[in-house]
Amino acid sequence: MGPNDSLEGKLTYDGSVHVDGRAEGEFRVTGNIDVASGAKVKALLEASNVTIKGDVEGALNARDKLILGRGAKLIGDITVRRLQIEDGASLNGHVRMGDFEQQGSGG
Amino acid sequence: MSGWVTLSSRAPGARVPRPAADQPPSKTGQRSSVTLGPRDRLIGQLHIDGDVLLSGTIEGEIHATGDVEIDDEAKVTASVAGSDVSIRGHVSGPVTARKRLVVARSGSVTGDVRVARLVIQDGASFSGNVSMGPQVEAAAPQEPEPEAPAPEVQVLPATDGNAGPSAPAGKGKPVPIKGKPKR
Repeated sequence: MGPNDSLEGKLTYDGSVHVDGRAEGEFRVTGNIDVASGAKVKALLEASNVTIKGDVEGALNARDKLILGRGAKLIGDITVRRLQIEDGASLNGHVRMGDFEQQGSGG
Repeated sequence: MSGWVTLSSRAPGARVPRPAADQPPSKTGQRSSVTLGPRDRLIGQLHIDGDVLLSGTIEGEIHATGDVEIDDEAKVTASVAGSDVSIRGHVSGPVTARKRLVVARSGSVTGDVRVARLVIQDGASFSGNVSMGPQVEAAAPQEPEPEAPAPEVQVLPATDGNAGPSAPAGKGKPVPIKGKPKR
C-alpha cells in the first residue's frame, strides 16, 4: 500500500502487509505487518511480526515480535511475545507478554 | 550537600570517587549516591536526593530525585521512581521515570509504568500498562535543579587562509562515567 492508498474494512491475508498510507479496520495476516513512517492506522492488527514507524491506534497482537521504531506512535493494548521499543517511540496502553489465547493459522 | 552515601557489601575501594568540592554539581544533580550491593537487602522506603544503584533484594518503595539503576542480580518488588530509570534486573511494581525508562535485554518489568520516554530492548520482558508523555514530568515532584552557570564560549571569527595551529586534533582519553565495582 503506497502513501496515497487507503484501506477500510476487514482484511485476512495470507502473507505480509506493508502500509504507507491510511488504513482502518481489522487486519489479520499470517506474515508480517509493516507500518511505515507517515502511515496512519486505526485498526485491530494481528500478525507474526509487527514493525511500526507510523501512527497506530488499536489493539495489536504480534505472535512473535513487535518493534516500535523511532517516531512510532501506538495507542492501544498489545499482546506480544517479544517487544522492542526504540528511543523516541511513544506507547500508551496495556502490554501483555508471553501467552496468547488465539493462535493464528500461520506457522 | 553532605556528599556520598554508600551502602554496599562490595569492596569499599570500588566506590565511585567523590567529586571535588569546587566542581559544580552535574546536571543530573548527583549530590549523593546510594549503592545496594548484591547481598544487601532493603525492606521499606528509600527516599534519596540523588542517584541509586540497586543490585540486591528490595521490597517497598524507592524514590530518587536522580537516576535509578537496577542491576542484573536485583530483585525488586517495589514502586520505583526516578529521573532516568534503567532496569537490567527483575522489577515487580509500578515504575515512574520522569525522563526515560530503559529496560535492558536482561530486564523484566511487571507493573504499570509512567514515563516520558521508553526504551525496551529486544529480549526484555514487560507486562503492564504504559502511559507515556510529558505529563509525567509535570505531575512528579520536581527537584530544584541547581542551574550550572553557562560556560563562556568565545566564538572566534573565521579567518580565511591558514588558520594556524589553533586546534590540534585532541584525542581525549575515554573517561569511564561509572566505575563498575568489582569484588
